[in-house]
Amino acid sequence: MRIIIIGDGKVGHSIAETLVEEDHEVTIVDRSEAALQRSQETLDAMVVKGNGVNVDTLLEAGATDADILIAVTMSDEINMLSCLTAKRLGARYAIARIRDPEYNKSLSFLMKELLIDYVINPERIMALEISRMLRYPFTGTIETFARGRVEMMDFRLGRDDALVGMTLGDLYRKKPSLPRVLFCAVQREEEAIIPKGDLVFEEGDHIYVAADVLTISQFFRQIGKNTSDIKSVMILGAGRISYYLCRLLLDMRMQVTVIERDEDRAMEFAEMLPEASVIMGDGTDQELLMSEGLDQFDAFVTLSGLDEENIMTGLYAKSAGVRKVIVKNSRDNYMDILGVIGLESVVSVRQVTGNTILRTVRTRGAADSAAAVERMYRLMDGAVEALEFIAQKDEFFINIPLKSLTVNPSALIAVIVRDGQVHIPFGDDVIKPYDRVVVIVKGNNVQRLSDIFIKGMP
Amino acid sequence: MNWRLVLNLLSKLMVLEAALMLPSFFVSLLHGEQALLVFGVPILALVALGLPMTLKQPASKDVHAREGLAVVALSWVLLSLFGTLPFLLSGVIPGFINALFETVSGFTTTGASILNQIEGLPHGVLFWRSFTHWVGGMGVLILTLAILPKLSGSAATLARAESPGPTFSKVVPRMRDTARWMYAVYTVLSLAQLVLLLISGLPLFDAFIHTMGTAGTGGFSNRNASVGAYDNPFAEGIITVFMLLFGMNFAVYFKLLRGEGRASFHSEEVRAYWLLAASAILVTTLLLIPQYGNFFTALRYSSFQVSSIMSTTGYATTDYVLWPQFLHILLLLLMMVGACAGSTAGGMKVSRVVMLRKAGAREIGQATAPRRVRLLKMDRKTISEETLRSVLVFFVIYMGFLFLGTLIASMDGHDFATSFSAIISCLSNIGPGLNLVGPSGNFDIFSPHVKVLLTFLMLAGRLEFIPLLTLFHREMWKTGH
Repeated sequence: MRIIIIGDGKVGHSIAETLVEEDHEVTIVDRSEAALQRSQETLDAMVVKGNGVNVDTLLEAGATDADILIAVTMSDEINMLSCLTAKRLGARYAIARIRDPEYNKSLSFLMKELLIDYVINPERIMALEISRMLRYPFTGTIETFARGRVEMMDFRLGRDDALVGMTLGDLYRKKPSLPRVLFCAVQREEEAIIPKGDLVFEEGDHIYVAADVLTISQFFRQIGKNTSDIKSVMILGAGRISYYLCRLLLDMRMQVTVIERDEDRAMEFAEMLPEASVIMGDGTDQELLMSEGLDQFDAFVTLSGLDEENIMTGLYAKSAGVRKVIVKNSRDNYMDILGVIGLESVVSVRQVTGNTILRTVRTRGAADSAAAVERMYRLMDGAVEALEFIAQKDEFFINIPLKSLTVNPSALIAVIVRDGQVHIPFGDDVIKPYDRVVVIVKGNNVQRLSDIFIKGMP
Repeated sequence: MNWRLVLNLLSKLMVLEAALMLPSFFVSLLHGEQALLVFGVPILALVALGLPMTLKQPASKDVHAREGLAVVALSWVLLSLFGTLPFLLSGVIPGFINALFETVSGFTTTGASILNQIEGLPHGVLFWRSFTHWVGGMGVLILTLAILPKLSGSAATLARAESPGPTFSKVVPRMRDTARWMYAVYTVLSLAQLVLLLISGLPLFDAFIHTMGTAGTGGFSNRNASVGAYDNPFAEGIITVFMLLFGMNFAVYFKLLRGEGRASFHSEEVRAYWLLAASAILVTTLLLIPQYGNFFTALRYSSFQVSSIMSTTGYATTDYVLWPQFLHILLLLLMMVGACAGSTAGGMKVSRVVMLRKAGAREIGQATAPRRVRLLKMDRKTISEETLRSVLVFFVIYMGFLFLGTLIASMDGHDFATSFSAIISCLSNIGPGLNLVGPSGNFDIFSPHVKVLLTFLMLAGRLEFIPLLTLFHREMWKTGH
């Protein structure tokens, strides 16, 4: 695909690096000669010097036939305007990074009027990522479908898990009370398996399950993966990420304590989030932390602006016996050492933002060849795809019970969402017009929903 | 320095050179010459030496600036060394220094020759001699980038070091696509010229030779009297136009094809190039009317000669040494300027001269109003101080080599014009110079050590100094980087 990246900063550069690696045609636009110089020397990409809002610059960068434009400059306003200008010039898809919470309130309006297709708010994504790590400490990925109603997660089977040795068929016969989730895919060593009733679970399997948000957490609780392990969280720093994170954690009824050095910010924070307890003081002061009962907390998250402060305080919390410590770090070259010194949960804004953008780009790439796909995720390095479709009313499988249709053995209908309700489909269910249908497919040859059925069989 | 990687790339280049000898091999075979000895042996030698090394994959595939420069410089040296084999094996040029001079003159698209009698030489060897022009014009490494699968993220380093001009910009994001695209335009233009030359009445073999000579802006002919031997105004006209076309920045053709025709002529360099060519042709024509009797005959010879010199090709239809003294100096200046950046031509390049003029004007302006902030603009874009510095350094090195070279060349005892123009001719990759090295003269008059010097200057000029000179810098050979 032809991709234009506006802004050659940390995020812009690292996205460009990956996209070049994936053999896309990348053009980078920036106003700084020095940044472009570096990119030109290290990346097989074209560079254009100029302002990403300037029509001439965008034309030179090839906006008229660009597949995707990614605007990640320092300024929200430039990002938004770049998207608008590029879309008007003919770019097909525009992604903007917008950080200011002011804009986030009127986001859907802005997106519609400024022709932005996808908005990235790094601070919010970070907060989501951290909340996920706190909620499901054992899972690697969470993907959402049907506008967030359906979640898909993966977890690894340990030796003592109840599932080990059972077949999928046994599971619900022996545990009738277990909430119904869909087993989408199993990764066993290098092999990807679409599970059928006779599959026996083994230790070390990576299992992908999908269901609505509530069911999935009940499911994990029942199989012994305790989700609501963490009840109280202490957060260092009252920045934007902390704000979004507190919101999410408070919604999950966790107890939140925030430590902030700056008086004004602490006051402001307390005003915005009355349910959180805000403590004014130096978070690097160990006595203060202990007097606030650090060792009583289930989790500690460091979100201050200084990497060193985050790392040292995180280490201290770990030594004080806090079970889950999450550290924010913005330097890539620290990442490896942090694992060595015992900090396993490290988050980086750049990485999270980059990953989110890359996932969107890849989805776009796949959706390009299959216009009917609403959303797509690649699991297990692309061996398995999860695709979301909207069923059309004149298709041949509409209103026919699923048991009367033959589904391709390498595909699986995972979820049907109708009128906001999530259904795990069974033989008697039917697909009705305008249902959102999520299917799991091995390989990548499904372009339309009808492709998963084998026609002409009863 | 990642020597493994350098060796790997060099070995790939050797195999490529073997492939490049194949057309000459078939020409030789077709004419019933000693194809197996003259081309078969070098091809086998290159494959035998190169192929085993290409299989050894280097641990790291990153091409940094150092490796890029080293690969470019060493590959040109290596290509030239192996390129001498057909001349030596066929016995056309017995001495190694002479053979090296001729090969380097070919690859660097200079077109200066030490051969006195060209007509009657084996077809295969003559084809190879001109084929080196065609490959050397656009660049061997750019060809490598176009053919080989993805080299590494920073493959553009190689292209930048080989492509002439103060700055290198890709026309499409991926280097491989840019390289392929450049070669596609190059091939199409060459084929167009070939067809036109055939229509004009040149024999097939001669049409091939002159197309390759024009495309690479080289200037080797298979006739002693160069293009003048045909006395064919139509063919001369075709060659004149194509010499100027190949001297133009290739990005212009890309923009034309993309339908941005207008924008391409906004390029200050391209406009300056045509303006310079047109005014030089006009002045030359007017001054030559007394000599040739009428305007059109004067125009015929002047347009061909000015285009030939400006595009750094070096073909001749007449002996311009017999022209008035004023025109000698005019041609010498045009030789130094050369044609556009991003073309197959040599010389300082029009864009550098334009930048130098602007920088000079700025310095004078700065003296009158020291506090005023002045930006140098080209094509409505600011020229970075770094680019400007590299242009100034280029000028200094060019002048330094010119004067030092003249000093050394004068040891052979020839007149000033001969020595001076021979050095300019080699530095700018033109071919002929003035007086003894004029269109009817020959470079064989120089002693071996001056020939070695001229060979070095041709390579240095083609690669625009920096890549070749880094080989002589201590830092380059330090280990541990």
